[in-house]
Amino acid sequence: MKTNESQSSPSDEQLVKAAKKGDMVAFEELVARHRDKIYARAFSMMRNEDEAVDLSQEAWVKSWQRLKQFQGESSFGTWMTRIVINLCLDQLRRRKRQRTESIEEMSEESGGVERQMPVVTVNPTERLERGELRKKIDQALGQLSHEHRTVLILHEFEEMEYKEIAKTMDCSIGTVMSRLFYARRKMAVLLASLKTEETK
Amino acid sequence: MNNDNFELKLQAYVDGELSAREAAAVRERLSNDTAGQSLVAELRNTNAALTGSETELKLPESREFFWSKVQREIERQERAVAAAPKINWIEWVRHHLVSVGGAALLTCLLAVMLLHGGGTGPLGEMEMASDEMGTYTYRDQQAKMTMVWFYDKSDDSEFTEPAAIASMDPE
Repeated sequence: MKTNESQSSPSDEQLVKAAKKGDMVAFEELVARHRDKIYARAFSMMRNEDEAVDLSQEAWVKSWQRLKQFQGESSFGTWMTRIVINLCLDQLRRRKRQRTESIEEMSEESGGVERQMPVVTVNPTERLERGELRKKIDQALGQLSHEHRTVLILHEFEEMEYKEIAKTMDCSIGTVMSRLFYARRKMAVLLASLKTEETK
Repeated sequence: MNNDNFELKLQAYVDGELSAREAAAVRERLSNDTAGQSLVAELRNTNAALTGSETELKLPESREFFWSKVQREIERQERAVAAAPKINWIEWVRHHLVSVGGAALLTCLLAVMLLHGGGTGPLGEMEMASDEMGTYTYRDQQAKMTMVWFYDKSDDSEFTEPAAIASMDPE
């Protein structure tokens, strides 16, 4: 039997409309609905719980301040995700400026490493349960540099096109393509090695 | 097309980023390229593994606690904005533009003097058009400066206050 709750609960659009007029209760409901997704995106990019919590909080504060600019061209969730992605990218850029790049990153950026990797001919994730697969993918993502992880997240999870990724990451489409290529090839190798380790 | 570019093209093909014509060309080349076919299979496997496989995470703070932090920060920033001194535009214009206006006026004056100087120097000679006005001049050789006093010939007084510095010699 259907309850009245689902019918009476306001949609995101209605909550946004109320929040734009200054209704904090409506905004709190939006936060409650989307907070896990926003935190998860921040965590996937930063790989650090405290930073992810802080950045998702900052994203919510920004969204309240910029709510009037939200015209509803995308869903509220997508708009919020873009805010947190931009904050994460800013943070990663600041961090990168503060430290010298590791040798690994330098060799990745110079290109060509991915072309020496042998092609993984078997599907390493075949017959894995969804939970297990998620765990392995998360492990493998954690081993990528932030540039490669970000490009993969934006393409695979946010379903952005090359052009949109280039704009978000402030780089050329060519850079997006080569980073994505490297990230995928490395993911394939990492997933294959994780499977091998397990069977030992 | 070299091999590196073809690999990136294969990826774009897998991602549906190629035009119909380019995709057809890639398909044709792939039909005789086993290494390319293996690479396409690997890219597709990786994509399939990633699709819908993102770890579902929950924010490690309660709804009330997280919201209280967000709300406090919103209120703190709003208070900071309200407390920030507002710019008095009239005051700002008076303070900044009056001096700029003065400089612009001086520049215009100099430009007019240069234009009407007749090419005799950077600050050429000036002529008095009126017969009713008289002038006294004083030349300071050390300062390389000439001072000019204007006075009304009809007036009893010999001259009035110094009116203008007519010219300065170029170096």
